[in-house]
Amino acid sequence: MLLALLLCYAGFTALCLSTDRHHGELLHSKPTPRRRLGLRVSGWLLLPGSIWPAVAVAGWSQGLVEWCAVLMLSALLLVLLLPYRPRLALGLAGAGLLACPVAAFVTL
Amino acid sequence: MKEGFRQAMAWLHTWAGLIFGWLLFAIFLTGTLAYFKDETTHWMQPEVQAHPLDDARSLTVAQAYLQQHAPDAARWFITLPNSRDPGLSVMWQDKLDPGKRGNFVQKVVDPVSGEAVQARDSKGGEFFYRFHFQLQMPYPWGRWLSTLAAMVMFVALITGIITHKKIFKDFFTFRPRKGQRSWLDGHNAVGVLVLPFHLMITYSSLVIFMSMVMPAPIMASYGDDSRAFFSELFPATDNAPALGQPAPLQSLVPMYTQARAHWAGGQVGRLAVNNPGDVNASVNIFRSGSDRVAQDFGSVVSFNGATGELLRVGGGQSLPTLVSGTFYGLHIGHFAGPMLRWLYFICGLAGTAMIGTGLVMWLGKRQLKHARTGVMPFELRLVETLNIASMSGLLLAIGAFFWANRLLPASFAERSDREVQAFFIAWGLSLLHAALRRGRQGWVEQLSCAALLFAAVPLLNALTTDQHLGVSLARGDWAMAGFDLTCLGSGAFLAWAAWKMQHRTAPQPKAERAHRLNLKQEAH
Repeated sequence: MLLALLLCYAGFTALCLSTDRHHGELLHSKPTPRRRLGLRVSGWLLLPGSIWPAVAVAGWSQGLVEWCAVLMLSALLLVLLLPYRPRLALGLAGAGLLACPVAAFVTL
Repeated sequence: MKEGFRQAMAWLHTWAGLIFGWLLFAIFLTGTLAYFKDETTHWMQPEVQAHPLDDARSLTVAQAYLQQHAPDAARWFITLPNSRDPGLSVMWQDKLDPGKRGNFVQKVVDPVSGEAVQARDSKGGEFFYRFHFQLQMPYPWGRWLSTLAAMVMFVALITGIITHKKIFKDFFTFRPRKGQRSWLDGHNAVGVLVLPFHLMITYSSLVIFMSMVMPAPIMASYGDDSRAFFSELFPATDNAPALGQPAPLQSLVPMYTQARAHWAGGQVGRLAVNNPGDVNASVNIFRSGSDRVAQDFGSVVSFNGATGELLRVGGGQSLPTLVSGTFYGLHIGHFAGPMLRWLYFICGLAGTAMIGTGLVMWLGKRQLKHARTGVMPFELRLVETLNIASMSGLLLAIGAFFWANRLLPASFAERSDREVQAFFIAWGLSLLHAALRRGRQGWVEQLSCAALLFAAVPLLNALTTDQHLGVSLARGDWAMAGFDLTCLGSGAFLAWAAWKMQHRTAPQPKAERAHRLNLKQEAH
């Protein structure tokens, strides 16, 4: 479940950064069209991609339920962190991505 | 036309949400607590000790206990302890004349010593579970009302998606400390981010009660005999009658092992023994609901109790029962491990918060018009009173329920009913208090009181039992320790909420606010 959580959170962060408003708030600049596209594509790849580790660990029925739960909770966490601790919200996504191989090694 | 449609939906969302919001808040909050039903029961019956799980030992102990105390019973039921509920529960039905139902006796047995545990009489988490769909009303009115509320909830969800058209565009937006704007942001955030859960939980509640809500297909095929439908749906394990020839019952452990082998190692939830001690005794072993997402009530392995011979293996769900079983399983979440159970709990709280913020917004919007004069019309005052009593009042009542569990003497007659009375008395008092105290004062006082009740639960537990946090944590009894810690956390959250409410800026009239906005824009 951990790996799916990290991937979902990173995916949502990428999607969030791909909007002009949030990119401006978080990084104080407007994203270039190329960067916006890159963030959007990686976000949309990470979210469905996180189904795989969830299903690989827990099987289809349980895995999909866990994935849905993790999907909702990672978005909730990100949205609640953004206004209060924006740097932490970004840092978590980065640290999460870095920790992915470790999580994959431990859980898969 | 399009604007007209959206406005109609907004109207429906607003009014359906208001009328049923108070009830839905209670249903969602108690339903959320019911995800920790077994843990709550464990906390409320601290006399039941947690032991390392050993099904074979538990089964042997239960069989010996029943053999000694109820050898002539018509039926035995054994519910094995699991990681959430440490109690080994045995129940038997007395043998009576044919045509009459023998009454049931239930005991909790210690799975190590084999003695009955003298636990205090308490409904435990079962109270929240029952309340969330029966609403403490006589059968079947509570079920009807909660099903109606579920339908309204479904309508409110769909109309909400149409009304708040910007929810997907503003997906990541939450702006705190901006008054009414923040409430709307919060309402949208917990609504849209947890939308899959809201849709699932609301739709599945309708599926669970579908035979009640939409009986037409059953009546069309079975006429008035709805019993025939149910006996076909749940093939009542058709057990042989007693022959009256005594024969000793075989040990249940090998049957248990054989049943698990049939389910590829699946867990056993419950065992039923019909006519123990008769030559025609039968043993039905029911699979635990915690094994799979989809509930399957037909997963039963039956044995002849006197010979140990395998009689029948139930199973194999048809597609419709698989679909409805999946919705059922998703709703009650028996399959969820500790992590997923917490996620369920958080989702439930998000649903509760969505309803709560909606109610607060309804009032806040209309209060703005009267902020300058400071006089509120009766209907707004009524909504305010009901808001306070249904939200902070319910929290107070839950706290009072836990306190009553620890403070009422164990020897009290009908003790479990007294606990429930304490819950409703506290709720009633909070309504009275909300009617007497003006808006914000009412909120602050009730929230602070609830915060105190919850935060002091670990202390109360330490003073009245020998299971305080030091003991439960050291022993690894996470249900007990987790309950204490969660109450402490809830107390801290409620204290924060009370503090926020006390130091909130008063709602400003619209004109003044617009004026300030203009000034701001001019300054830029």
